[in-house]
Amino acid sequence: MRKRKPIRVLTYILSIVCLVVICLAGCASREGREKLSVAIPESEHVQDPENNYYIKWLEEQTGFDIDIITIRQSSGTGFLDALFSSDADIDIVMFGEDFKITQDELSDYVSSGNVYVSGDRSYYENTGSSRSSGPGQILWINYNWLKALSLPIPESTEELKAVLTAFKEMDPNGNGIKDEIPMAGSYEEYSLSPAEFLLNSYIYNDPYHSRYGINEDADILYAATDEFRAGIEYCHELYGEGLLDDSIWDGNLKQLTEMCNSDQDIVGAFTTSSISDVIYQGNPEILARYIHVPPLEGPDGEKNVVYVQKDPEIGAIITERSDKKEQAERLLSLMMTPEASLIARYGEEGVDWTYSDGSDVSVYGGVSTITTIKYIWNTSQNKHLNGIGPMNVPEEYLEGVTWNGVNSDFEYINGRAYMSYEDHLPKVNGFHPYDDRMSEYIDTALEEFIRGKKDVGSDEEWERYLEGLSY
Amino acid sequence: MGKISGRIVVLILIMALALSGCGGTVGTETKNMNIITDNSTPEELYERALKEDTLVVYTVSTRVVDTKEAFEKTYPGLFVEVRDLRSPNLIEEVEKGNESDTPVCDVVLCNDNSGEFKSRLVDTGIVVPFLPEDIGNHMEAAATDGMVSFLNEAEILFYSTKVYEDCPIDNIWELTEEKYRGRIYMPNPLRSFSTYAFCASSLDHNRELEDAYAAYAGEKLKLEGTENAAEYFWKKVSVNIIFTNSSDEVTEALNDGKADFGWCVSSKLRLADVGYCLAPVYKLTPFSGCRTSYAVMMTNNCKNENSAKLFIRFLLGEKDGQGAGLSPFTTAGTWSVRRDVPDGNEVPLSEIDLIVPDQQRLIDEKEKRVSFWTDILKGNR
Repeated sequence: MRKRKPIRVLTYILSIVCLVVICLAGCASREGREKLSVAIPESEHVQDPENNYYIKWLEEQTGFDIDIITIRQSSGTGFLDALFSSDADIDIVMFGEDFKITQDELSDYVSSGNVYVSGDRSYYENTGSSRSSGPGQILWINYNWLKALSLPIPESTEELKAVLTAFKEMDPNGNGIKDEIPMAGSYEEYSLSPAEFLLNSYIYNDPYHSRYGINEDADILYAATDEFRAGIEYCHELYGEGLLDDSIWDGNLKQLTEMCNSDQDIVGAFTTSSISDVIYQGNPEILARYIHVPPLEGPDGEKNVVYVQKDPEIGAIITERSDKKEQAERLLSLMMTPEASLIARYGEEGVDWTYSDGSDVSVYGGVSTITTIKYIWNTSQNKHLNGIGPMNVPEEYLEGVTWNGVNSDFEYINGRAYMSYEDHLPKVNGFHPYDDRMSEYIDTALEEFIRGKKDVGSDEEWERYLEGLSY
Repeated sequence: MGKISGRIVVLILIMALALSGCGGTVGTETKNMNIITDNSTPEELYERALKEDTLVVYTVSTRVVDTKEAFEKTYPGLFVEVRDLRSPNLIEEVEKGNESDTPVCDVVLCNDNSGEFKSRLVDTGIVVPFLPEDIGNHMEAAATDGMVSFLNEAEILFYSTKVYEDCPIDNIWELTEEKYRGRIYMPNPLRSFSTYAFCASSLDHNRELEDAYAAYAGEKLKLEGTENAAEYFWKKVSVNIIFTNSSDEVTEALNDGKADFGWCVSSKLRLADVGYCLAPVYKLTPFSGCRTSYAVMMTNNCKNENSAKLFIRFLLGEKDGQGAGLSPFTTAGTWSVRRDVPDGNEVPLSEIDLIVPDQQRLIDEKEKRVSFWTDILKGNR
């Protein structure tokens, strides 16, 4: 995956100031109970962590007083830098929502001795926010524009081109201005690049594994094939006709989000791994604007869906400076149990959810295991931490959750798209490992070919590209 | 009793009558036993609505988003928040709002055929009907009978045109054949009111199903331990059915060619306009589905009364039926409740093989029918 930009100095300074303030505020503790200082990122989905149902449940189960320290910045490394350069007395740091840290980033803090390591464990995982594997990229299209122009949902690359051309030429948003962006994207994630999606109509295109094949083809570089080249030619054609927007290479996620959620209704199509990557929650009008497009068939009948297996995210760490490491381990281990994880994911049993009697259908079309009474994920609530912290929800419950009945619920919208894509997912039992250098080389070449900086039609240019692959 | 005592009694009676008129409901006048009317002009309502807060609409139809957008354009300064919910969840949310000190919902759009809407929200007075006279004069009588219906639809069988050029069956019993195993999709009847209305109502049509079976199999139906023909049919056909959460999943399966057949709401036929590969089965022995309708009501504790009335007027198409609020609903697969507005569907309801749910019977026998369907669904898992 592509990495985010480094934090700025100002953020760092603010982090230190915030830490001093929150530590002073955290000095007052309840008497008689052992206190654990836990830093938790601020979330618009968690109303009051101090009085949160899940926090109270954890306190009751452990007998600890959990002293919440609110993290007000989004950079995981920025916060840890500030924390470890201060005297702040924090036992546990929890991650989640936008406040993340990668394993690579964390390894620096482990090596510098700031993060407590017990055996092999330097962090507690979070595997409960979504299913662990499935389709990696979905194409969404503006349904209102299709209706306005009486166009069918495209089923092939050829039909897509016709639809995008009509989007560009025929003023589907009806404002009399040619402000339509037929297909937008962002450089921040592969899943946000429509070009990656379109290549899958020519050959299996898995940028997360450096565009090698899978299974017995795991050592074959698909990015060196004629099919891949034909896919690039198609993308270049779209780009040349103004159908693929420059935002795919120049735009960040925030810009894409603003474009897609704009009241001006200016985006015709985009790709994501989840509709929630781009569309704001609680916005049924915008959500009603976009529908998923089933995988497109290429000129040779290819129709692939990239398969992704999500690595567990980092849910929490214990600081080396903590003098309550054993208690911290007890708390985090409890959070990893199914009982705690189900509260962390779905809320209060009997009030927000119950175990299913088997008469419901899961969001993903299977047998229901959890019936949601009140689906509170990604809403403003005070029952759990909305995915912040460690958890380990068994797959049977992630797969078996029922729909809450809200048509604009992200999990339901994604679930419907996934069902449409799953038939085209490969059965994967072997990947090529991700090759940083190779991926960077292909990413750059792909952009240059599609944007016409290099001529994909030139055999010489293509040969030079192929040669570069072998270095 | 002296004169004074008599006057006091008369006075008490007058006060009691006057006070009884104050109880609970919004609106300025009531017509018949239930319908609230208000003959304010749209301009008068608009002027008063400008002093109110954002109107909150709970709906089971995403099409109301188009109505909202047209409404906000027509009446600058007014804002509508749409919350799009599945019918059972909508009812729960409205009930909760009614019990709370801070109700948020002003207007409700809901499928009203399973009996749940009527028994839980209408009969309890949690929602009340509002219908201006200048529009009511153009409505069918059935659309203003205790509730205000603004649209007729159907829960109807579709077939996939990706799989079949023409519908391959003409008798409902053909769906029980082995070749359709896993090829028929249907929303979970315990989670979809319109599907429940069809499934539960079919239990009132055993004679038709028996006759259809005789025509299909050439022999009299043997019930094999079930109570009646409908139960027998559903037990047989449910083996072939994949139950879904909603009509949307059914249409997607038909479009993908994963399903040969699927029951869903008729208004999904509009998806054919954007290339979905589905077509309705209008003719099927003995029936292809059931009639349904959609109600629009105000909540009893509506906080934005004038906005709500203006919005309902707008949704009903205003006086002449030509208003922009109704047009998102006059699409293929819908039928008008106004005599002065043509149907959205080219084939009239009367020419389609549909049953008409008996709502009171569905309410009275709810426990038994829900229990039957719970068993069917568990068996299907």
